[in-house]
Amino acid sequence: MAVEVKIPTVFRKFTGNEATVELEPGTIADLIDQLGSRYPGLKEQLLAGDGELHRYVNVYVNDEDARYLEKLDTNVGEGDTVSLLPSVAGGA
Amino acid sequence: MTDPLRIPRRFADEIVQHCITGRPNEACGMVGLLDGEVVKVFRMTNAAGSPLRYSLEPREQLAVENTLAEKGWEGAPFHSHTRTEAYPSPTDVRLAVGDIPYLIVSVAQEPAQIKAFLIVKENWEDETGDIEEVPVEITG
Repeated sequence: MAVEVKIPTVFRKFTGNEATVELEPGTIADLIDQLGSRYPGLKEQLLAGDGELHRYVNVYVNDEDARYLEKLDTNVGEGDTVSLLPSVAGGA
Repeated sequence: MTDPLRIPRRFADEIVQHCITGRPNEACGMVGLLDGEVVKVFRMTNAAGSPLRYSLEPREQLAVENTLAEKGWEGAPFHSHTRTEAYPSPTDVRLAVGDIPYLIVSVAQEPAQIKAFLIVKENWEDETGDIEEVPVEITG
């Protein structure tokens, strides 16, 4: 059993419109590397220049915010679900 | 020419009502899209709680994204402008994150107006971008 990663609409242009992707277990950093090699361009959307999670990206592991877990070092095991969400904001 | 985004009248009314109820703050939410047509309105909390800013409440967004994935719908965000026209502000452009239509609802006038825009940026950290209007058709 793999890790299921849910891809929101804004990132689906990178995944050929796939809404869910199955990856090998590992840390969130490992998962982002797997996404990057499978879908060129996607890793750059998720990580900022300093290699940390982009501040406009929220990552949830089984509905828990990874920022309050161990961030990129959070371990994701078989059967876990990861959601990648861009923060959607703006204003007049 | 971009394909129009179709909004059945009952959903357009629901979006406008949510935006009117949210005043004086900006209101926000998402719509579920199937083949370019709105099939569901998700009324959401403005985590910024401001007349000038909006931010989708992250936990609600997670729940909505889960529903979108389950149903096979695409998602597009909407937010209100309470005092200005339905057109992306510099803040909207600066914070835009992808090639998805952004619906903007102006409740500054009567009747309210719903427009949609693609905000095209080379990199989503760019402060500026090109704004392309997506025609909105209110149907039914």
